[in-house]
Amino acid sequence: MSDIVLWYTTRGAGAVSMILLSAVVILGVLSTLRFQGSGWPRFLTPALHRNLALMTLVFLGLHIVTAVVDPFTHLGWLTAVVPFSSYYRTFWLGLGTISFELLAAIVATSLLRGVIGQAAWRAIHWLAYASWPVAVIHGFGTGTDALSGWFIVLSIVCVGSVVIAIAYRMVQPSPDLLTSARSEFRSAVSRKPDQ
Amino acid sequence: MESTQVAEARIRARDNALSLLNNITAYTAFAAVAGVGIFGTVSALTIPGVSASSSSGATASVATSGATVIAATSNSSDSSSSSSPSSGLSASSGSVSSSSSSAVAVSGGS
Repeated sequence: MSDIVLWYTTRGAGAVSMILLSAVVILGVLSTLRFQGSGWPRFLTPALHRNLALMTLVFLGLHIVTAVVDPFTHLGWLTAVVPFSSYYRTFWLGLGTISFELLAAIVATSLLRGVIGQAAWRAIHWLAYASWPVAVIHGFGTGTDALSGWFIVLSIVCVGSVVIAIAYRMVQPSPDLLTSARSEFRSAVSRKPDQ
Repeated sequence: MESTQVAEARIRARDNALSLLNNITAYTAFAAVAGVGIFGTVSALTIPGVSASSSSGATASVATSGATVIAATSNSSDSSSSSSPSSGLSASSGSVSSSSSSAVAVSGGS
């Protein structure tokens, strides 16, 4: 395979990975709303979130492998594992490495959710809110197409969609009907007897 | 009897939802694979130097015209001095594409 094909595959897979990762974040945010409708049961949103997350890892792997094996760039496998170890655009490539490793940790702990427990899984899963913006910044800093019109439009659509999803999630009331009851119970338990 | 029908309806709805999930996942995977090709092609077409509207294209044309000048100068010197060995000519034209700085040879010839 020629290095030209590898180079363009790297860039195409990077753009697709950004779209998929944005979709994963949006589905993850919306799954907390427990949306359901006719023909769309509640479990479908987190199931699709999980499938797309695994798919994102596949295309991120393609993005990384094609970049590393490209004989023109000479990045080396260490760059894919150790952040900020690349000679080429050290900071921006390091952000990509960090984002990938955060995402890998999130997916791994999700697959081992029954082993590590709900609390640890939730704590690590919050790293998704760090992984996604770091990946977007990596694309803007490293990407050869960062100043291309199509990439700017793509980035605006992805960032706008995620921001809208987060804002919608924050505006919506909690879908858990027992939220107030739980909070009252917790406050009653923590209240001292003499109060 | 009625509870059995309700259970069957729920099972059917669940199967439909799982089928929908599989379809969405498959279509997304197909679109993602196609997207790699599409975005790769788009980035190849919009990379600076390839597009005719880019400024690097002007630089490339300048370099090409410079190479033409060198080649033409070499040919003229060849025609003016017929006794000069042709090996010098071939070496000069061969280095046109690799080093545009061989314009030194042009100034020296003039």
